[in-house]
Amino acid sequence: MKILSVIAGVLVGAALIYGALDMPKWGDPHSPASSHVSPYYLRHSIEHTATPNVVTSVLADYRGYDTLGETTVVFTAGIACILLLRKGRKRQGKRHV
Amino acid sequence: MFDFIVSYYNYWVFIGLMMVGFYAMMAKRNLIKKIIGMNIFQSAIIFFYISTSVKKGGVTVPILEHGHAAHAADGLEHGAHAVDIMQYANPLPHVLMLTAIVVMVATLGVALAVAIMIYRRYNTLEEDEIIKLLRRG
Amino acid sequence: MTGQLPMLIVVIPLISAFLCPLIGLWRKDACYYWLILALSACAVGSIDTLVTVIYGGTIHYHLGGWAPPFGIEYVVDHLNGMMLVIISVISLAVAIYSKRSIEEELPEKVVYFYTAFLLQVTGFLGIVITGDLFNLYVFLEIASLAGYALIAIGEDGAPLASFRYIVMGTIGACFYLLGVGYIYVSTGSLNMADVHQILPQLYRSKVIITAVSFLLAGLAVKMALFPVHVWLPDAYTKAPSAASALIAPLMTKISLYVMIRLLFTVFKPSLSIELLPVADIMVWAGVIAILGGAIMALAQTDFKRMLCYIVVAEVGYIVGGVGLANATAMKGAILHILNDAVMTVGLFTVAGIVVYKTGRHDLSDCKDLFKKMPFTMAAFVVVALSIIGVPPTCGFFSKWYLIHGAVIAKHWAFLAALLLSSLISVILFFRIIEIGYAFRPSHGWHSGGGHAAAIDEAPLSMLIPTIAIAIAIILIGLYNQTILSNIIAPAVPVL
Repeated sequence: MKILSVIAGVLVGAALIYGALDMPKWGDPHSPASSHVSPYYLRHSIEHTATPNVVTSVLADYRGYDTLGETTVVFTAGIACILLLRKGRKRQGKRHV
Repeated sequence: MFDFIVSYYNYWVFIGLMMVGFYAMMAKRNLIKKIIGMNIFQSAIIFFYISTSVKKGGVTVPILEHGHAAHAADGLEHGAHAVDIMQYANPLPHVLMLTAIVVMVATLGVALAVAIMIYRRYNTLEEDEIIKLLRRG
Repeated sequence: MTGQLPMLIVVIPLISAFLCPLIGLWRKDACYYWLILALSACAVGSIDTLVTVIYGGTIHYHLGGWAPPFGIEYVVDHLNGMMLVIISVISLAVAIYSKRSIEEELPEKVVYFYTAFLLQVTGFLGIVITGDLFNLYVFLEIASLAGYALIAIGEDGAPLASFRYIVMGTIGACFYLLGVGYIYVSTGSLNMADVHQILPQLYRSKVIITAVSFLLAGLAVKMALFPVHVWLPDAYTKAPSAASALIAPLMTKISLYVMIRLLFTVFKPSLSIELLPVADIMVWAGVIAILGGAIMALAQTDFKRMLCYIVVAEVGYIVGGVGLANATAMKGAILHILNDAVMTVGLFTVAGIVVYKTGRHDLSDCKDLFKKMPFTMAAFVVVALSIIGVPPTCGFFSKWYLIHGAVIAKHWAFLAALLLSSLISVILFFRIIEIGYAFRPSHGWHSGGGHAAAIDEAPLSMLIPTIAIAIAIILIGLYNQTILSNIIAPAVPVL
């Protein structure tokens, strides 16, 4: 099992290294990630949302729906914990199998 | 060669972290160690996203300088042209990762809750011991 | 109002989930009716959306009014319009069904069970409707977290099954996220349509090849494709009946939908067929999954566990059908997503009734069930015939298109696997039907005693959804041409 995991890990690593060969260099200001969508946010943040902190304006406005999803994830986790950890009377007898 | 390794070093770091996490998730028998591996794995991905937002050369955090002042001076329409985008880091990966961090914490919470449930029922967190108990009962 | 409908389909179950614990504080039993109300509204909304799509074409909805590559976009076309209807209608049927089963299995957790149920449905709908790669991840995690919780509260051994599912599921979701990250790094965009525009110049890039493989690997874990299916049988066998009836048919189908969406909407079909051997790998993965699932199903003595392996085999049908990469096989694969969702929910509702009445789910517990609950078992026979692929039921038609597609592609191994697995299904289901009849009238009647006499027909709230599903299977079969020409033919990507 351990050898299998090592092989799987190395395979994943090798695939990632293969992918990284064509990646833009670290800190390249002209990489596609920094030049397609993100300049729009930097340019228009003040105009559209009157917020100098661009991360805030993207988080709460442009992609605000992701943030609603994020809140829902936290709510889901909370409900999951209540569901799992509240002690039920029915299962008590079965505990010490 | 050396230049190549240095200019891509963010990828090597994240790949290394990811392999460590992946191995721990697959190979460890203790449930808490598996959870720790899961966290390292997810942190590696967050590290990768954040590293893509960096721009070299005097770049600062994406909070616009004199944002409100420029806004007041230029008026609503012209405020758009005042920003030099090469001066600020890419904000989008930061936003995505704020969401992903929360998702990660939520997953961690649920995983720990399940681990507590397992411990309450079987009094152990070693996977092979639990399987033995399950077979017997 | 109608313009906001795509948004409302997701937001109604979401807001209902937030309100559900509050209603539970007031009256516990009101939660059930609240769940039914929310899911009915959702089902009506999604059917209306599908009709709008059929008559008016694709719907684009910009969240917060921001134009697509900058904001998040909802896109409803024929394919995900159909998925929305499948999800909302099946979850409504399971919701109606769940009442007695949950009162029996988890009496003190009803309120939070229904909250998690609603969140699960929200996650499913959000995954299907979105046109944004990262938004899909967020809703995938909502669905997964709710699923982990719903599975972990099952019988003995469920927490460990759920824990393994968490580990595997997190690997799957993280691979997906990593794939999205690679796409983002090389295109700078997260919107599916926008990425589709930018990508063709980058198809030879190593980044994109890695991204495709990580996305597909992540989804393979989520859809329980054969070698990485190991989390599925334990998790779905040990989950509460209502939870397995909700998650088993939908989670795998939704991952398959995401796979089709990625291969044909985000990437161009030429990438997966010509540039990379993705399509060939998928057919062979499908063959292995069909054979593996069918053979493992044959070896099981546990009723629910056997059904789980049937689900694994059915995933192979669809993956293989998509991989054959011709229009007929694609038609069959997409029709099979619909059929298989309905058939699987039928199987698991019947299994849930058996658990409700006997308290166990071994095959030997099915003894004499035909006499004791004739209507349930009649529904079961309809579902079984459909899985085997007998003509008036819907399973026949999708299998027909898959076989036809395999002949066109001249892929004989896939054809052989399809026929062999149909044969194995015959053995599987006739074994159960034989146990269920148990022709030993004089002996069985007396020795059964008090306990056996207690087992009778299922309560109406469980029986009606089960029979409705059986009727739906026949109706889909009879009207398969209407469904094919109106919904599925436009959903098949141009190859």
